[in-house]
Amino acid sequence: MIKNYIITHYLNGFSKNFIYLIFLFFIINFEKSLSFFSLFKIATPSLISIIIFIFIKKLNMVPSYFILFLVGFINDIIIGSSLGTTPIFLLLIKFFSVGLLFDNVNKNDQQDWISFTVTFLVSFCIVFFINIILNSSIPDLSPVFYYVGTTLIFFPIINLSINFIFFIKRLLKS
Amino acid sequence: MVSGKPSQVKILKSRKNFNLFLVFLCLTLVFLGKIDLVAIRNIKSFFSDFLAPVTFAFNKPVKEIAGVLEDVKSASSLRDENIRLKSELRRIKVLNSKIASQELELFELRELLKVLPKNKNNIVTGRAITAPGGIFANTVLINAGKDYGIKIGQPAISSYGFVGYVINVGLKTSRVLLTIDINSMIPIYLTESHWPAVAQGQNGDLLVIKFLSSDAKPIDGEVVETSGHGGRLPPGINVGKIFKSFSGTYFVRPSVDFHRLTYISIITNQKQNTTVLDGFQGFAPLQKPIKPSVLKGLDSSGTRKIERIED
Repeated sequence: MIKNYIITHYLNGFSKNFIYLIFLFFIINFEKSLSFFSLFKIATPSLISIIIFIFIKKLNMVPSYFILFLVGFINDIIIGSSLGTTPIFLLLIKFFSVGLLFDNVNKNDQQDWISFTVTFLVSFCIVFFINIILNSSIPDLSPVFYYVGTTLIFFPIINLSINFIFFIKRLLKS
Repeated sequence: MVSGKPSQVKILKSRKNFNLFLVFLCLTLVFLGKIDLVAIRNIKSFFSDFLAPVTFAFNKPVKEIAGVLEDVKSASSLRDENIRLKSELRRIKVLNSKIASQELELFELRELLKVLPKNKNNIVTGRAITAPGGIFANTVLINAGKDYGIKIGQPAISSYGFVGYVINVGLKTSRVLLTIDINSMIPIYLTESHWPAVAQGQNGDLLVIKFLSSDAKPIDGEVVETSGHGGRLPPGINVGKIFKSFSGTYFVRPSVDFHRLTYISIITNQKQNTTVLDGFQGFAPLQKPIKPSVLKGLDSSGTRKIERIED
């Protein structure tokens, strides 16, 4: 009986992580394909970091470190960037999102946004510096600012949309 | 707390260790990727081959929607576009008649000078599978690989001009490094001011001009082509136009719109001359062509008088 429970527990964990992997892979592909729109010609917003943050903070769904590593690795292969840079970024996003620093701060959407801004900026700066060291030169900064700006603008929009969906759900239930 | 279950602190510690291990693994991967090992390259190309159909399937709907939106946007300016195209057509017709006569003259001159004939290029055209976007890397995956004779280093072009060169080849796919990528450096030639230089991408829209002589005076709007120096890329492929910024610095604006790339052609007969560096003496500035001379006859002393045409 106990053995069956253990197997079910592991199967449950595996299926959950597999669904996370597929979903995050879809999101990361969607993010890249946004560059076909003229609005995101310069740079596409980092939807993956927004989704991971919302997953952890709002939905209490924490994707494992290995899944994030795998998604980042696949992304590096698809876009052809240096292997390992995206996994570091995703791992840092999770690390700072779960981190104790912001645990007691998230009481409303505004604080959520501040918390995300800090998490995203710190993670991005680390990866950006790794890239500067790797390429031994500073890239054009306008796409970088556009990338950071659009991500920070998109976060409250997605956050409010999710809040709205929850509101409708509660309304329907009541 | 005497139960056999591991305590929360232990679980947290092991998770933290695993996270650190993954970060360390990532850093190792970054380092291995940078030293460009054959094994890493093979792994990359294998996964690219494997993931290409999935990526294409994910990208296709978004690409189609973006195309439809662009069509709707352009439909609103159809009248203006029509007028512009008519005037463009008139201009091209005039140019065409001039070009036909000049081409004949050029052919005759080539015959007279016994200029070596140009090699005809073998071209393989593939469809771009991925979007070129990315703030750290600008590459495109195309659906043609080793099976079509594509090799690393071969130049990639589109109907507008030079796109980049192949950096990784799989069995079914190839990765093209775009000229706007920070790791891309191409030898160029300024067609009007007659100076060679190197254009480097900076992950933005423009290319930085490097190794340009201090004597050079680029002209705003002049056409830039590949110089063919180093023997890696063929000469004469359109790269873009010179663009002067507000600060007075010169950049190259690529003629290709990298976000609208659908088909990319690879020149497959380009020689991959690895021994070219053996006798390579470095770049020498190209000489401005000597101004044509006109003979005006003999002077009073009996010597021939030569006058040069001034600009």
